[in-house]
Amino acid sequence: MNQAEVIAQLQTIFDTVFLEPVVLTPAISANDVPEWDSLTHISLMVAVEKSFGVRFRVGEVENAKNVGEFAELILKRKQEA
Amino acid sequence: MDIAPLKTLLLKGDLEFWAQLQSRTRAAVDFEELFLLSSLRKKAHARKLTRPKPPKEKLRLAIIGGCSLYPLHELVEHLCEVENFPVELWQGDYDNYLSEIMDDASGLYAFAPNVVFLLPAERRCFYTGKLTDPREHVQAEAQRVVDSLLELARKVNGQTGAEVITTNFMLPVRHDLGAFRSRTLGSDWSFRKWVNLELGLNAPSFLHICDWEFLANRIGGLAARDERSWFESKQPCSSALLVELAREVAQLIFSLKRAPKKVLVLDLDNTLWGGVVADDGLEGIELGDTSPRGEAFKAFQKYIAALKPRGVLLAVCSKNDFAKAAEPFEKHPDMVLKMEDIVSFKANWEPKSENIRAMAAELNLGLDSFVFVDDNPAEIEIVRQFVPEVTTILLGPDPADYVAQLADCRLFEPRNITGEDAERTQQYRSDVQRKNLEASVTDMASYLESLQMAAVISEFTPVDVPRLSQLINKSNQFNLTTRRRSEAEVSAVMNDKNFIGYSVRLKDKFGDHGLISIVIGEKSGDMLQVDTWLMSCRVLKRGVEEEVLNELVRLAKSKNCLRLEGAFLPTPKNEMVRDFYLRMGFTLTAESETKREFELRLENFLPVPTKIKIIRRAYESS
Repeated sequence: MNQAEVIAQLQTIFDTVFLEPVVLTPAISANDVPEWDSLTHISLMVAVEKSFGVRFRVGEVENAKNVGEFAELILKRKQEA
Repeated sequence: MDIAPLKTLLLKGDLEFWAQLQSRTRAAVDFEELFLLSSLRKKAHARKLTRPKPPKEKLRLAIIGGCSLYPLHELVEHLCEVENFPVELWQGDYDNYLSEIMDDASGLYAFAPNVVFLLPAERRCFYTGKLTDPREHVQAEAQRVVDSLLELARKVNGQTGAEVITTNFMLPVRHDLGAFRSRTLGSDWSFRKWVNLELGLNAPSFLHICDWEFLANRIGGLAARDERSWFESKQPCSSALLVELAREVAQLIFSLKRAPKKVLVLDLDNTLWGGVVADDGLEGIELGDTSPRGEAFKAFQKYIAALKPRGVLLAVCSKNDFAKAAEPFEKHPDMVLKMEDIVSFKANWEPKSENIRAMAAELNLGLDSFVFVDDNPAEIEIVRQFVPEVTTILLGPDPADYVAQLADCRLFEPRNITGEDAERTQQYRSDVQRKNLEASVTDMASYLESLQMAAVISEFTPVDVPRLSQLINKSNQFNLTTRRRSEAEVSAVMNDKNFIGYSVRLKDKFGDHGLISIVIGEKSGDMLQVDTWLMSCRVLKRGVEEEVLNELVRLAKSKNCLRLEGAFLPTPKNEMVRDFYLRMGFTLTAESETKREFELRLENFLPVPTKIKIIRRAYESS
């Protein structure tokens, strides 16, 4: 799996969670999406962990600055799984 | 989860959105799913798609506690709103509940809540001394934890009049301390269990326990915990348990406003026993310890029987012949439920929706206090459609799960059990018996009318001879003389001018009963002697007896007879017709051990009216 494939899978999760369509790019971040507040974030993370079969370590998700970095984190944790 | 249909309804502004949202919310298991549904609800509000007929007032709910109350508050708000109990929410700050309660000028009191939900900090519920301290010391400290919680609850209630809901404490799930855990009251495991028990047993009536220990146990201790989410965002438990917690609080809030259900209406076949009693017979139904399925049905009955002392009224509603339906209750050795446990027993062929309506009238209870249980989706559907006030439970495919289904339905949860609850069944039973009696006097006629009975009376015909002989030779109970006749003897009667012989066929709206009664009379001067009078017991007391007599008198008169004579010849089986002739207006003329003789004079006889339409009479060409 590469970053583009991870983002494509993320896109389907985002499509479910958000009412207004969001086109994911590596550069996009929570600040760019009005619906992406801290509440939605919790829900998104639960869905992402389930969908990719990964478990993030404490505190590391908030260090990802954009979707690209988040996808890299998913890849890293997926390699361990 | 496919959320697209719901999104489409929302984007179209279709009000069906709210009904769909409710059913999806009820079915939702996962946190993400519930959360997603909640965000759709908020988006609906933002788009001004409002729920039809919202209540005028919102319940004012304050949530305070020693953990993050977010996103828990969101789930609670959602669950309440979709069940049409909208809440106005006020959230306390993280771990600020002590000062929010103790400070009269706090935002909590400014909000003026109707209900306060408190989640006290788990990390403050532990024993500070040594594991080896005397039990009395530990108990005293546990008591202080309980007392301080009760004090907080009293303060809130005194200040605002609000009902208070508090969680108790989850138990540890790690092996730490090993077997020693339960040998000391000082371990977190024992200490919290003790605190939870004391809290529940000492809670005043305004304080409701949201049993977190139970909920965590229910989903499994390991699945209940999520340490990472505590460190990251001060979540008190896993997202899976958060869902259960939110549902429990919502349930507690509903129960403050909603009365528990009062009547449990039960189907019979494949609900209380396996199989169909009318087809399989008393011996054929599955019930009792001889088979696994039989055991499961018996366990279900035991669970139901245990609801009775909690004040739940039990009723039966079955599409069945009454006698057949009642038989297991009276005769089956493994029936746990007995006739006297049932306040209203409806076994007939009317729609179940109508039967439940009739029960509500008999018991003088609202339909909204009824719960109906059936294994048949069609019966559930008819009740849902025609009496939507009634709550329905469709039993699943496996009787092993019946108890769990009912025990998890959350409809019969008592707040307090009183002695009066236990006596309720008896009191309602006598009500029903009285009303049934009244009903039987006034409504027997309309019942018979509703059967739409029609009879064909026919003289003996060659084609009927085998059937006539068969019934003459097997009929025992309703048989005045029990004279048996072969086919040849029946034919001889048919061809003898001194004899009359006729049979009755009966139909009603439920079907054709076939040939059900036979009479043979022999003329002797101005008297007609009733040689044979027999009838199938299935059609007892529907007016067939009277119509048979009407016909007998008519034929006797046509033969220029002035009186009828009849005899009762006792056998071990025909006791039921010992006084039959007296009931029909005959007078007793002679009596011995082996024979009772009766007579009816015809000059003053008036035909007895019945609800049976006579299509054809004997010796009349049709």
